[in-house]
Amino acid sequence: MNKNKHLLLWSSLGTLALLAGAAVQENIFREWRQTQKALATESGPLDVHLRQVVAPKMQAADRCVSCHVGMAAGEQGISGGPLAAPHKPVGHDPAEFGCTVCHAGQGRATDKADAHGDVPFWPDPMIPARYAYAGCGTCHAYVGIPTESQLTGGQAIFERYDCLACHRLDGRGGTLRPGGAGGMEGPDLSAAGLAGYDRRWYEKHLKKREESSDGPWRISFGKIEEPDRTALETFLATRTGAAKLVEAKALFHTLGCQGCHKISGVGGDEGPDMSRVGLKDPGQLNFAHVPGKPTLANWLSAHTREPGKIVPDSKMPVFGLNDAEIDLLTYYMLSLRRGDVSESLWPKDRLRVERFKEREFAADGATLYATLCSGCHGPNGEGRRFPETYPFPAIANPDFLAAATDQFIQDTIKMGRPGRRMPAWGENEGGLRDEEIARIVGHLRRIGGVPEPKRPIAERRWVKADAAAGGKLYAAYCAGCHGAKGEGLEAPALNNKSLLAAADDAYLVETIGRGRRGTTMQSFGEASTVHPALSPAEIESLVAYLRSWEEKKP
Amino acid sequence: MSNETPPKSALREFLGNLVSAPGRIYRAAFRTGTPTTDRTRSNFIFQNVFLHLHAVRTHRWSLRWSTTMGLGIAALAAFLITLVTGILLMCYYKPSPEDAYNSIKDIHFIVPTGRFIRNIHRWAANIMVITVILHMARVFFTAAYRKPREFNWLIGMGLLVTTLGLSFTGYLLPWDQLAYWAITIGANIAQSPREVTDALNITASFDPGGMQRQLLLGSDVVGEEALIRFNLLHVMVLPLLLSALLAVHFWRIRKDGGLTRPEDADKLLGPPPADTYPVFTEAPQKTYHLAAIVRGRTPAVNQAPENTIPSMPHLFYAELGVFMLTVLVCVGLAMFLNAPLKELANPSVPENPAKAPWYFLGLQELVSFSAFMGGTGIPAIVLIGLGLIPFLDREQRGTGEWFGGPGGWPLVKQAIAVGSAATLLVETIAIRFGWLREWFPHIPQLVITFVNPGTIIASIYAVYSIWLVKRYNSARAGALGLFTCFLCGFLILTAIGTYFRGPNWDFYWSPAQWPKH
Repeated sequence: MNKNKHLLLWSSLGTLALLAGAAVQENIFREWRQTQKALATESGPLDVHLRQVVAPKMQAADRCVSCHVGMAAGEQGISGGPLAAPHKPVGHDPAEFGCTVCHAGQGRATDKADAHGDVPFWPDPMIPARYAYAGCGTCHAYVGIPTESQLTGGQAIFERYDCLACHRLDGRGGTLRPGGAGGMEGPDLSAAGLAGYDRRWYEKHLKKREESSDGPWRISFGKIEEPDRTALETFLATRTGAAKLVEAKALFHTLGCQGCHKISGVGGDEGPDMSRVGLKDPGQLNFAHVPGKPTLANWLSAHTREPGKIVPDSKMPVFGLNDAEIDLLTYYMLSLRRGDVSESLWPKDRLRVERFKEREFAADGATLYATLCSGCHGPNGEGRRFPETYPFPAIANPDFLAAATDQFIQDTIKMGRPGRRMPAWGENEGGLRDEEIARIVGHLRRIGGVPEPKRPIAERRWVKADAAAGGKLYAAYCAGCHGAKGEGLEAPALNNKSLLAAADDAYLVETIGRGRRGTTMQSFGEASTVHPALSPAEIESLVAYLRSWEEKKP
Repeated sequence: MSNETPPKSALREFLGNLVSAPGRIYRAAFRTGTPTTDRTRSNFIFQNVFLHLHAVRTHRWSLRWSTTMGLGIAALAAFLITLVTGILLMCYYKPSPEDAYNSIKDIHFIVPTGRFIRNIHRWAANIMVITVILHMARVFFTAAYRKPREFNWLIGMGLLVTTLGLSFTGYLLPWDQLAYWAITIGANIAQSPREVTDALNITASFDPGGMQRQLLLGSDVVGEEALIRFNLLHVMVLPLLLSALLAVHFWRIRKDGGLTRPEDADKLLGPPPADTYPVFTEAPQKTYHLAAIVRGRTPAVNQAPENTIPSMPHLFYAELGVFMLTVLVCVGLAMFLNAPLKELANPSVPENPAKAPWYFLGLQELVSFSAFMGGTGIPAIVLIGLGLIPFLDREQRGTGEWFGGPGGWPLVKQAIAVGSAATLLVETIAIRFGWLREWFPHIPQLVITFVNPGTIIASIYAVYSIWLVKRYNSARAGALGLFTCFLCGFLILTAIGTYFRGPNWDFYWSPAQWPKH
C-alpha cells in the first residue's frame, strides 16, 4: 500500500509542478511578452498584451505587431529598439491590409521562427527584406513594362532633359536650391504609373515656361522632341513605387525567359509554368546543391545560375548571367505569386490583365520579341546555340528576311515546328494574338533592315522538277547538316510538316540559292571549296525532293 | 390549554435552518458520515454511485502490480484526460474546412495554454490506444477472458474498436495535409472490398466498398461532409458509445467476481503482512445479503477464507496512483513534444508518402499488397478470431497466471520467434524481390488477393497454431501461439509502415534517404 501511496503522491506533485511550469511559460516567458516588456512608451512601460491586425477583407489576423509593436495601429512614441520602429510610409496602410498579404509569413503565429515562416510545414515564409517589393506580386501585375533597353533609355532621357531639377523620382532629384528658395517645384513622380498624371503635361509645361521669365522654368525646361516624349511616357508608366521590381521585370522580359516558360498563359512549354513560382513551397525543394540557407530565393538564384546542378535532367541551358542579373531575376520570380485575393480587391492593373486581356508587359514588337523570342534566337535575331542543343536559326538574317514573306514568318510563329523546340505561338498554344505576331515580324524587319520581298510569281507552288535527281543532290550536299531524311542535325529539320506547309517554293529556291551569310548555310548558287555552283534547275529539283516529304493531301 | 406548547417562532426556526443548512447539505450528500472506520468506509463506497462500481473489499491478488499493471485504469485515465482537454478544445475549434486549420493555429498560438492542452489531448489519445492494446494483451496472457468473463472480453473488443474510431475521427479535425491524406488513405482502406468486386466484375451492381467509403466520407472525396461527420462522431457519438461500453465493462467486472486470480492465489499470497492498515476496527454490520438475490456465483459464496482488504483506501490508492501517473506522463510529454500540424490541407498536392495514423500502418502495409486482404479480409479474421477465443478455450489450467496454460512462457517465447521470423521473412522477400505482379505481370488480381504477403503470414501463423494445439493437446496453447504471433506481426508491420516506407511506399532504411523532388 505504501508503494501506491508514494506513486500517488509523487505523480501528483510532478503533475502539479509541470502545470505550474506551463502556467509560468504561458504568462511570463512567451517570446512576445518578453519583447514587449523591453519596450517603453513616453508615459512609462508598454502595456503587455497580444496585439494583432485584423483585416477581414484580406482574411488576415496578423499578430506580427505583437513583436513589431511600433507598426501596430495607434501605437505611437514607442522606444526601445528596432521593434519599436513604425512602418515606413507605403501606399497600403498596414492597419487596413495586414502584414502577410505583402510580406508573406505566418500571421497567426506568435513565435518568431513560426511567424517568419522559418519552420517546416509553412509553405509561404516571409519574403526576404531585400526582395520586399516582390510581395506586390500577390495582387499587382504592373502592366506596360518594356524591355530593359527601353527602360534605361527612358530614364536617360528623363535625366538628360533635367526633369530631376524639379521632380523627385525614386528618391533622387528635386533638391533644394541654394539659399533654401524653391526646389521640389514639381510633384514626386515615383508612383506616377499608378497615380496617373495629366496627359497634357507637355503643353502645360510649355505654357508655364512662356509665362515665367526666370528660374527653373527657363533654365531647366526646354523643348522635348516627340519620340523622346513617347519614351518618357513609356518610362513614367513604369514608375509604380517599386523601381527595383520593375527593373527586375524588364530584365526578365529582355532575356526571353518566356520563350520556354508560360506566365499567365503566354509563353513556351519547354519549361515549367512560372505563373506562381514565387509561391513554391521551400519544404518541397531539394537544397542538396544550393549554397546558403534553404530559402526559395537561394534556390531560385542557384537554379538560374546552374539549372542542371540543382534539378537533375533540367533542359534549361546555362545562360552565363552575372550575379546582379541573377539577383534581379530572382527578385522577379519571387514576385510571381498571384495570391488568392478576392476579385473585388484586385487593383486596376491586375483587372486589366486578367479580365480585359491586357498584357503584363508592353506589347510592342521589340518587347514581344525580347520577351518571347530572344532567349533562343538571340537579342538581335542573330541565332544562338547552347551546349547540347542544335543551333537556333538566325531569323533577322538579311538573306532569310529577303527570301521569306511576312505570311511565311507569321505562319511559322503561329504553328511552330511540331517535334522541334520551336513551340506554336497561336492564341491557344503560346497565347499570342495575330496582331502581336505581326508586330514581332515587323520588329524582325526593322532589326534586319530588309523589307518584305515581292514575289515575281503569284503561285505558291510552281516548281515542277525531277525529285529523284534532287534526292541525289540532297544526299551529296545537304544531308550532312540537315540529316539523311531531312530530320535536322546541325541545321534545321527540313521534313517538318509545318515548315513545308508554310513555305512557298520561292522561299525554298531563294534560300538554297542565296544561303544565309553569317551562318553555316552557304549559298549554293555559287561555287565553294566543297561544292560546285548549282544551276537553277538543280535547285528546283532539290525543292521537288523536299516536297516529296510533304503530307500528301487526300 | 395549559398543555399547549408555546407557538414556535417560524422566523427563529427559519434562521436556525439557514445556519445549519451547510451541514445538512453535506450530510445529505454524504449520508454515511466521515469515512474514518472500516465500517463507515464500506458504507461510503456502498452509498456512492461512482465508488460502488468497486467491491468494498478487494482481494489482495488484485492489488499486486503484476496482476494488471494498471493498464485498464491507465486507459480509463487517458480517456478522461482526452474528455476534459477535448471539451476545452471544443471551445475554440471550428469544424469547417475554411476555419478548422486556422482555429487550430489559434489554439496553438494565442489561446492561453491552448498548445499545451492540445498536446495533452494528443498524447493522451495515443496513450489510450497503446494502453487499450496492452490491456487486451494482459487479459489474454493471464487467461482472464475465461468463463464467466467471456462477454466482458467481447465488450472489451468493442472498446478497442471504439477507441481506434475515436482516434481516427480525431485525426481529420486539424484539416492539415497530414490529416487530409491520412483520412484519404483510411477511406481508401474502407473501399478495399472493391478489389474483389472489381475482379469479379460486379462493382457496377454490388459495391460494398464504395458504399463504405461513401458512408464514411459522405462524398466522393474528403471534404466538408467528411469533416462534419468526423467531428460529430469524434465529439459526441463515439464518446457516448465508449462511456456506455465502459459502464458495462466495469459493471461486468463486478458481476464476474472482480479480477481473475489463480485457484491457489491465497496460498501463493500467504497471510497478509502484519502492518496492513487498516484492519477491522469493528465487526461488520452488514453481510453480503444483497448476494442472496443475485443469481449464480457470487464472490463470497463457497469461497475459501477471504484474503481481502478494504477497497478504501487500498484499492483507491492504487487506482489514483495509476491515474495520476498517466496524467503525469501525458502532461510531461505535452510539455516537450508538440502535436503535429502540417500545411493547410490541399487536395491538389498529395502527400507522398501519405500515411494513415500509426496504428493503421500495419494494415496499410498489407493494403500495399492487397487492398481487400489488408483492409477487410485480415482485420475481419483477426476480430472474429479474437471474439471466438473465450468460446474455443474452455480449459481451466493457468487462469489468472501470466502466460498460463499448457506451454506457458517457453511456448510464448517460441511463438515470438516464429511469428517475428515469419513476418520478417515474407516482408523481406516482398521488399527485396517484389511479389506476383512483378514476376507475372498478367496474373489475375484475384490470385494476388488470396496469395499475398498478408495472407501468407496469416497462414503461417494458423498452421503453427494448429500444430501447437496438437502438440500440447490444448486449445489454449494454440491461442497463446496465435495471439503472440499476431501481436508480433502487428508490431513489425506497424514499424515497417511507420519507419521504413517512403515515397510511393518504397522501402528506405531511413527518411534521410527519401528522394526529394
